[in-house]
Amino acid sequence: MKENISSILKSVSKPGRYSGGEYGQIIKDKESVKARFAFCFPDTYEIGMSNLGMRILYGVLNEEEDVWCERVYNPWIDMQDKMREHNIPLTACESGDPLTSFDMIGFTLQYEMSYTNVLNMLELAHIPLRASERDDSMPIVIGGGPCAYNPEPVADFFDLFNIGEGEEMLPELCRLYIKMKEDGSYTKEAYLHEAARSIVGIYVPSLYEVTYNPDGTVKAYTPKYDDVPKTVQKRIISDMDKAYFPQKVVMPYIETVHDRIMLEVFRGCIRGCRFCQAGIIYRPVREKSAETLNEQAKCLFESTGYDEISLTSLSISDYTQLEKLTTNLLEWTDENMVSLSLPSLRVDSFTKELMDKIATVRSSSLTFAPEAGTQRLRDVINKNVREDDLLRAVSVAFDAGKNAVKLYFMNGLPTETYEDIEGIATLASHVIDAYYRCEGRNRAKKPQVTISVSCFIPKPFTPFQWEAQDTLEELAEKQEYLGSKITDRKIRYTYHDAKVSRIEAVLARGDRRLADALELACREGFKFDAWDECFDYDRWISVFERTGVDPAFYANRAFGLDEVLPWDVIDCGVTKSFLRRERDRAYAESTTPHCREKCSGCGANKLGGKGTCCPNAKVN
Amino acid sequence: MLSECKSKLTEKKEWLARLELVPPKHVRLKFCKVGTLQYISHLDLQRAFNRILVRACIPVWYTQGFNPHIKLVFSTPLSVGSQSVCEYLDIRLSRDISFEEIKRRLNAEMTDEFYILDAYTPENDFSQIAYASYEIRIHTAGASDELADRVKNALTAAPINMIKKGKAGEREIDIVPLIKSVDVAYDGENKEILIKTVLSASSSQYLNPEMLISALKERTEILSGNPTAEYYSIMRTELKKEDMSEFF
Ligand code: SF4
Repeated sequence: MKENISSILKSVSKPGRYSGGEYGQIIKDKESVKARFAFCFPDTYEIGMSNLGMRILYGVLNEEEDVWCERVYNPWIDMQDKMREHNIPLTACESGDPLTSFDMIGFTLQYEMSYTNVLNMLELAHIPLRASERDDSMPIVIGGGPCAYNPEPVADFFDLFNIGEGEEMLPELCRLYIKMKEDGSYTKEAYLHEAARSIVGIYVPSLYEVTYNPDGTVKAYTPKYDDVPKTVQKRIISDMDKAYFPQKVVMPYIETVHDRIMLEVFRGCIRGCRFCQAGIIYRPVREKSAETLNEQAKCLFESTGYDEISLTSLSISDYTQLEKLTTNLLEWTDENMVSLSLPSLRVDSFTKELMDKIATVRSSSLTFAPEAGTQRLRDVINKNVREDDLLRAVSVAFDAGKNAVKLYFMNGLPTETYEDIEGIATLASHVIDAYYRCEGRNRAKKPQVTISVSCFIPKPFTPFQWEAQDTLEELAEKQEYLGSKITDRKIRYTYHDAKVSRIEAVLARGDRRLADALELACREGFKFDAWDECFDYDRWISVFERTGVDPAFYANRAFGLDEVLPWDVIDCGVTKSFLRRERDRAYAESTTPHCREKCSGCGANKLGGKGTCCPNAKVN
Repeated sequence: MLSECKSKLTEKKEWLARLELVPPKHVRLKFCKVGTLQYISHLDLQRAFNRILVRACIPVWYTQGFNPHIKLVFSTPLSVGSQSVCEYLDIRLSRDISFEEIKRRLNAEMTDEFYILDAYTPENDFSQIAYASYEIRIHTAGASDELADRVKNALTAAPINMIKKGKAGEREIDIVPLIKSVDVAYDGENKEILIKTVLSASSSQYLNPEMLISALKERTEILSGNPTAEYYSIMRTELKKEDMSEFF
């Protein structure tokens, strides 16, 4: 933090976002390190500091003695205005140095709606947006995270992408950089070529030529050199028990979104819900042992002093040692005033015993995600949840004195009919009925069921990647229809803005031709598009119109099953033929057993890994 | 890249258990909060102390009852944007541990901008705080002896009516009676105006030093230029009792 911005910091909201100085931040001598890495989270400090991936990669990079990794977040609008007014560039938290003095800048791409923030941050840092406009004096700009699985909409702005888990890849990239700087062979071009050639998981978009068909679909991806992979295979960490684990974290002073210990229990998901991207791209499941986790939780408690541990993973109740882990944790957490929380619970695993163990389950309102209103549609999306399971789960909660539950659903799923939509209202009223059947219910209170409905977005690397999204009109009609079916005042109904979901669909399935639109959006000041108060649909449409982009081509068109997809250049381990089979099964309304019941040959076992869900993987 | 992680929780608990149990014992911590920590609010500071005490394994006493928590009592809160080398926090311990040990353990978990200066048994309570001394440095265009004189005049010519935001809404007050003393000098070496002042700091009569800056902005041309070239810092240097002796 430099003195000359003290007047500015005194005039903005929450200056603690920008001041740095947290306990646990890593300070190195910038003169003696060989590579400086700015890890950028394209959203606010409060959100970025809560990101587990960033905590891990910050630690992993700083383990390298001659690399200094610092943190950067996107300043809120009031701060940005001051920075522009006084020509102050974007700086990193630890050193307060501008981003232009770094060797590498890495962005984590967690959600599509943060793309405008990526460009916004580059602009604030006075760094040219397009990779082709940045010469050798500029930092290498790296992208990673779940959205990098279809990096194409932002491909022109990045020098390279990390596909998959970064704990090994990022240090390798730094080592290669330092080596080439030291032996004098470094030019940006040579470095990118060498990285693409020698490090698995590195995608350098400028090394691939994309051609298009007359109808606008992609014709082919062609590598410019023979030694660059035709498809880039994702990286995984093989043994989670031995994976790097950050024993210390940077402790924020100001309140953040997840201000607690986040214990990553496993990666991947055995379920295979057909709309869910995370369930596919993080395959195969790799678990940590209960012993490792208990020890890591203790270490983190000692080094942070946090009073809450959240077990994080997709579908946590699928952890094979959950019983053992929670028992081990409870042996020391209670006496140390530490509470346990679980982010997501499946209805079929929700039991009285679990409820007694988990403090947050006891105290907060309960949330379940049936996703669809009828068994037919739940079979289509492979959400293996039955109405009986849901009613049993809520009854356990009601009998224990709770009166409020929240249920998540989705509108616009493939094959959805108005009957399915009405089913959401019916299911909600069955939950109300279940309340009055519970002997142990809190008789002083009325039941409260909240149904929250989002819009289906077709995502790359899912069985529904080819589906058309409903139009805005269709979605609005469906939302209204559901509203008309809910008459009980004990049911609260909320739904997502379909306009945001439409833009998200465009960015999720887009290709390189979106670059002009994103650049124009940035020039016109788009930022924080994931925030309701900043998102402006009409301005997005105007930007698309002026750059010749038809949003319907990406959002509302059914992609051809034989079409070359923009993300075909990436190999996430799961095969396209598996996704295709799953799509067919969806239309046949038949479910697929989860990985532990029976392997369905998705292909992810080729990536290897210890403690995976696929010891008996079927070979296709 | 195997990172061994071996918890010392059991050893720490054994160490704690060996300490002698005592009835809740009061300890006062004097700490400083400078540099980037000036941007951290009082509420955030409380949360930070909770975690620091846990990390440092201090045998703090927890309130009894349904929702046990650590009892923290702070002296006059510092507003965001001000630094201090004389903040005080009273805690209670359930087991006996030396003051030296408390200080050593806490400082291992704190930073060079936020650390414990002293730990001891309190002999008074915070209601005895009547005044606070501050050092205000203003880096502004045209800093000179002459400007220092004008600043002094601006801060002593009664009345200085300022809007004070309180719980009951906004009201106008004259801040001059709340300024116990004020000295202004020009620091030629740093080209800064240096104000040393003593302000009312009791719970009923508290004057935020930022008010002086606001008054000066209204009455003189200081800090009216480019905010990246003109800035100020506020440092609380000492707390005083009614008789002007040092509070500690
Ligand atoms: S290979 Fe089989 S068990 Fe492994 S992730 Fe794929 S479907 Fe599941």
